[in-house]
Amino acid sequence: MNILKYIDSIILKIEQLLVIISLTFMVILTSVNVILRALYTHAHIQWANTVLSRVDWSEPFARLLVLWVAFLGASLLTNENRHIRIEIPGVMRSPRWSTIREFVLSFACVIICLFMVKASVDYLSIEMKYSSSMILGLPGWIFQLIIPMGFSIMLFRFLINGLKNLIFLLKSRSI
Amino acid sequence: MIILMVIILIFLVLMGLPIFAGILGAAMLGLYSSEVSLSALTIEITRLASSPVLLAIPLFTFAGYLLSRGDTSKRLVRFSKSLFGCIPGGLGVVALVTCSFFTAITGATGITIIALGGLLFPALIEERYQEDFSLGLVTTSGSLGLHFPPSLPIILYGFVSGVSIEKLFLAGLFPGMLMLFMVCMFSVFMGKRWKLEKTAFKFSEFVSSFWAAIWEIPIPFLILLGIYSGFCTATEAATLTVVYVIIIKTLVFKELKIIRDIPGIMIESMKMVGGILIILGAALGFTNYLVDAFVPMTILEFMEGIVDSRIGFLVIMNLFLIVVGCMMDIFSAILIVVPLLMPLAQKFGIDPVHLGVIFLANLGIGYNTPPVGINLFISSARFNKPVLQLYRATLPFLLILLLSLIIITYWPGLSLFLPGLQS
Repeated sequence: MNILKYIDSIILKIEQLLVIISLTFMVILTSVNVILRALYTHAHIQWANTVLSRVDWSEPFARLLVLWVAFLGASLLTNENRHIRIEIPGVMRSPRWSTIREFVLSFACVIICLFMVKASVDYLSIEMKYSSSMILGLPGWIFQLIIPMGFSIMLFRFLINGLKNLIFLLKSRSI
Repeated sequence: MIILMVIILIFLVLMGLPIFAGILGAAMLGLYSSEVSLSALTIEITRLASSPVLLAIPLFTFAGYLLSRGDTSKRLVRFSKSLFGCIPGGLGVVALVTCSFFTAITGATGITIIALGGLLFPALIEERYQEDFSLGLVTTSGSLGLHFPPSLPIILYGFVSGVSIEKLFLAGLFPGMLMLFMVCMFSVFMGKRWKLEKTAFKFSEFVSSFWAAIWEIPIPFLILLGIYSGFCTATEAATLTVVYVIIIKTLVFKELKIIRDIPGIMIESMKMVGGILIILGAALGFTNYLVDAFVPMTILEFMEGIVDSRIGFLVIMNLFLIVVGCMMDIFSAILIVVPLLMPLAQKFGIDPVHLGVIFLANLGIGYNTPPVGINLFISSARFNKPVLQLYRATLPFLLILLLSLIIITYWPGLSLFLPGLQS
């Protein structure tokens, strides 16, 4: 269990770094684009247009970053067990029942993420074979790797959370 | 077998299964029963990277989180106090106006009650507003302002329904103001009745408080101006807002340090974004299945058998959305329900722009609706009051908001007037 938590803490650091990098790029790319376009259309500055045509990859790239922050954010949220959910007050709030509930829910999430990892790996393997879209000289599927990665990390975290609750249950029973 | 699985899934969702997992599970069961490969789900998820509109969501959320740090809220309260403090029930009006302003610029993500409530609730009590009134006011104010740009639910609705965001921003202005105005009038009325103290209008204080907040007040107006003058799209406005807010927060007010504070805020805000977008991805996959399985058509046929008039449909939709709004957060609700209701609304001749305005009003009200509206719980936790007291406290506000909902729903002109002018 401790080794799992250790691995998790390393993944967490990497994810946080990636979120910061992705968002920074997103802001810089989109804002530079707007400013250049404004310079060209409103102030008729020629070099702005030249630069714009050079950075035509930036718009699709920024959109791909949306996919990245979506999955990174979602897996960070999994780490804190804070995903958006329906909460009906008063249901299973006693410590014992809520531990059982958390265990069952985490277990269900593990199964769902498992299927999603498989589905996204299947999808990517087809993309790798047939797709020809290129961004920045790299094949498009590289940027979509975040989908199976994101689901795998979420799976891993739901697993840790499930195990944590299970261990707690077993311990409290033996007392 | 499938039916058993569906029942288990619904049970788990009601027990608190993360919504994105619930939707993915439902989509998987659907695809499995119609023998389609699960990778169809992944194809839909990649659509998160397909639309420039979606870029606006992380950008506006980030800007909102930046604004919620530091003293922006205090400056806004001070300014509106100098403006409205002189009318009866003025502080209530101050609270409502600032909250709706804050809800709009922070993207309607529930930060309002947490960020502003702590400031406004004690102030209201101190000025001898009744506790229940103050609680109800602060709680409901969290769902006002949903209609004002750059509110995230509007952007999300635009993406899901395919309606132009620019039109939706315009359409929401009057209905949003109507809701705000009606609740403000209630505060004025109560202020008169309780003979609360008023602060005299001081021009010097008005000018100095305006000057203090001069960098923040124009933000929503600049966004509107930028979009409707044709200078930029909604997404471009979002990125400019981020740059602007970073500059004022770090250089002008010096409340945030680039290295020390910004990365943390980035992470916090992107968790929020991840939480919404992962549901969006899942919902894209799920609705794709629903459409393939002719579910909206089936609902349409079923509904045609029950109601035959526009009004009848609107009544049923209002009631249905209140239930949805109190069970679910506004983002999930838009993502799941809009694709189902769009064909129905079309059939009954309801403009999709008007539909969006009704949706937001309706779901916002759901937030305050007992027994499970989320605002009630946020408030209960924030102010340490029993939920039952909040049910009682929000009731009058809820009734006023319901009245405004009726006006918004059955008077399409209120929403469609401004976008009509534009085209």
